Amino acid sequence: MLLTGLAQLRLAASVGFGTPFALWSLDRLVDALLATRREFGAGAGGGAAETELLTGPALDEATRRDLQLRRFRQQATRGARETAYYGRRFAGLGLDPGRLTYADVARLPPTPKAALRDDPGAFVRRGAAAAVRTTTTGTTGRPTSVYFTARELEATAALSAIGLLVHGQLGPEDVVQVSTSARATLGNTCFARACARIGAVWALTGLVDPGLALAQLAEAHRVPGKKPRPSYLVAYPSYLGDLVELGLAAGLGPADFGLERIAAGGEIVTAGLKARARRLFGAGVAFDEGYAQTETWPLGGVRCAAGHLHFEPSWGLVEVLALPDAHPDAGAPADPGGPPAAAPGAPGVLVATPFVPYRDASVVLRYATEDAVRTLEGRLTCPLRHQPATSDVLGKLRLAVRHGPGPAGWTFPRQVLEALEAESLADAVPLPARCGFWAVPGGVAVEARVRPGYADRADARRAIGAQLEAQGVPLRALRLVEDPTRLRRPLPLRGDLREASFAPPVPPAPSAAADGAPRGVAAGAGA
Amino acid sequence: MAPLGLTPAYWVVLGHAAAAVLLGHAFFRRYRVPRPPVGVFDLGDVALLLGAVVLAPLLYLVLPRWAAAGLLGLGVLGALLAVLEPVLGAARAPWGARLAWPAALAVLAADVAAALRPGAPAAALAVNNAVLVLAVVGVANLWAQSGLKARDAALLAGALALYDVVATAWLPLTDALLGRLAGLPFAPLVAWPGDPGGGLGVGLGDLLLATVCPLALRKAFGRRAGLTAAALAVATIAALLALLDLGLVRGTIPAMVALGPLTVAQYLLWRYRGRERTTWEYLQAEPLAPALASGPR
Repeated sequence: MLLTGLAQLRLAASVGFGTPFALWSLDRLVDALLATRREFGAGAGGGAAETELLTGPALDEATRRDLQLRRFRQQATRGARETAYYGRRFAGLGLDPGRLTYADVARLPPTPKAALRDDPGAFVRRGAAAAVRTTTTGTTGRPTSVYFTARELEATAALSAIGLLVHGQLGPEDVVQVSTSARATLGNTCFARACARIGAVWALTGLVDPGLALAQLAEAHRVPGKKPRPSYLVAYPSYLGDLVELGLAAGLGPADFGLERIAAGGEIVTAGLKARARRLFGAGVAFDEGYAQTETWPLGGVRCAAGHLHFEPSWGLVEVLALPDAHPDAGAPADPGGPPAAAPGAPGVLVATPFVPYRDASVVLRYATEDAVRTLEGRLTCPLRHQPATSDVLGKLRLAVRHGPGPAGWTFPRQVLEALEAESLADAVPLPARCGFWAVPGGVAVEARVRPGYADRADARRAIGAQLEAQGVPLRALRLVEDPTRLRRPLPLRGDLREASFAPPVPPAPSAAADGAPRGVAAGAGA
Repeated sequence: MAPLGLTPAYWVVLGHAAAAVLLGHAFFRRYRVPRPPVGVFDLGDVALLLGAVVLAPLLYLVLPRWAAAGLLGLGVLGALLAVLEPVLGAARAPWGARLAWPAALAVLAADVAAALRPGAPAAALAVNNAVLVLAVVGVANLWAQSGLKARDAALLAGALALYDVVATAWLPLTDALLGRLAGLPFAPLVAWPGDPGGGLGVGLGDLLLATVCPLALRKAFGRRAGLTAAALAVATIAALLALLDLGLVRGTIPAMVALGPLTVAQYLLWRYRGRERTTWEYLQAEPLAPALASGPR
């Protein structure tokens, strides 16, 4: 208890002043949280006092701005002195990174993805013991690399373990199945270490055939002290869609699984996907949603119950800048000082600066994530209202469509996916939604994959069109296909980054079919 | 002379010792102290505590008397808050807990005033004894409700027994310390004057261990284990005080020499009979009254 108090003070010093983490204090806190859980039960934790372990206390607006400016200067000074990229940048701008004001920060042009992709070494601090190079999945282009130190990964894993324990998301009795790309080394490595620290069983199944992954989810294990079936699933939303589609088609239901939580990320999680997933895995399944990307790791957003994306201020500065007048692929000249902040309620692009001590080896300042969000209007009333927030991610800007002037002249992937994956369209549109959309005069044309027999049905077209318009899509043309290879401009899905396996899919048998007849699952059904 | 040939000082001191043990137990079953949200009282804390037990007397001997009293007062303040917050919070919810600070400060002021008042040593002792009993109840419950295991309590008691032999029986450390702190506010001794130049007392540390070990045993092994330990602790203190009061032993008795092995023996016996319960298992088996269990976690 006393040593734990010391460890809390040491962590508070890092959170408050940006001093490097002491790994002993993080280790001690993980041990203390586990001991607290053992002694007082799994329900212990999750209170405000425990949450402040990770975030520090809630700050008023003036204090938050002051803290973030000081931390921005700290990171900018390191960047200017110790990295090739920002050394050149600050020399060219004539700005003193140690004396930046918010007006100066706004003058600092956002760092484009291309700069990091073309020369990741220019962002690495001189003297940093870079040990790991990780790459993005490259959904919208050539993968981008980022360097990290071994210590950064250790600290992030320990912080992840603390977060999972504090929020009661994972415990030593849990069995975790990770159905993400085996090449997603950063997320997988940190999560694996966090699970190991907590004592949960962790299994990376990768993006194998969904039938195989579903069979592994349903498979019972008899490991002393562990839950009999996987209780926690990590998956891309599109791959989760494959699993749900396959499971429901095979007549499987909640009794066939032991899932309690699903962490879905890396893509847009729609309300329809969650509703359909709960039909397969059970109404009580909780979703852990958030936002993170490799380039700004470990700065990330947490989705609150109201659907906002909240960013802890001590972890980094998050800005939402106005969208360009033209589509980013149109080659319009960039504003030399960068675009202004997006107006309240308007869509914009997320620009992020992760702070020390969370980010050490590679410095990125005002990194243009190319992810679109909407700024929020009015006062927030959600439990995380003291943290800066945006709307949930609307999708990659490169996949969005510019069809008219002003902020309202955009259609984002989220609008189309929310419409197509709606539970009311489950009979017509299978998961994951495979679709494309593009600008046409006066609006947007949408194409979507539908189930066999639905492409020519007028009622299906009407229902799909109504859903799209309800999501604010200015629909001018709708093309329905039954064969996904006939889509002209399909959105990329991470679930398609399939990994080969020698093992043939083993069909899980339903525990008890409604009509009493046994049913099986054929690998690939519904895909 | 009082009954059984024992002096009034005997009955007063024994009464306070019994009150500490019994009130500690009653509090344990009725109130939740505001424990730290993360962490349990573990072996590392036991080690730190033993270090503090060794160093604190030396510190008190070298510090000016006012500084020693100040340090003791800070400790007593924390302990009083542990008692008063849940009690006042339950009695006058939801604002009652806010009265804990003024109430605790008032108690401290009373102790200081009584100690500084000339010519009334009995009154000063009476106030100090009451304050120490409350402080013991608070600290014992803070430790026990923070997850102190019976195993760790037994280890602590066993180690303190060894320390007491050295500090009290072999070295004049305990006597020197009590002599230096006597008459100060928050003097760590429940005492009562007897014949001129005489009197009886029980050290704060002994009283704390006599109170906390039954709580740890109750949590770990059940009602019978806890009540038996409480009864044995009071009986042991009664026997030791009787030895002094009847003049069978002169000087200072290292009480932990008796209380320590007794606690270790009880732990070994109960542990032989079954596994130690966690706080969660204890509360599942023996839930507190709902109205009182809703205090700060």
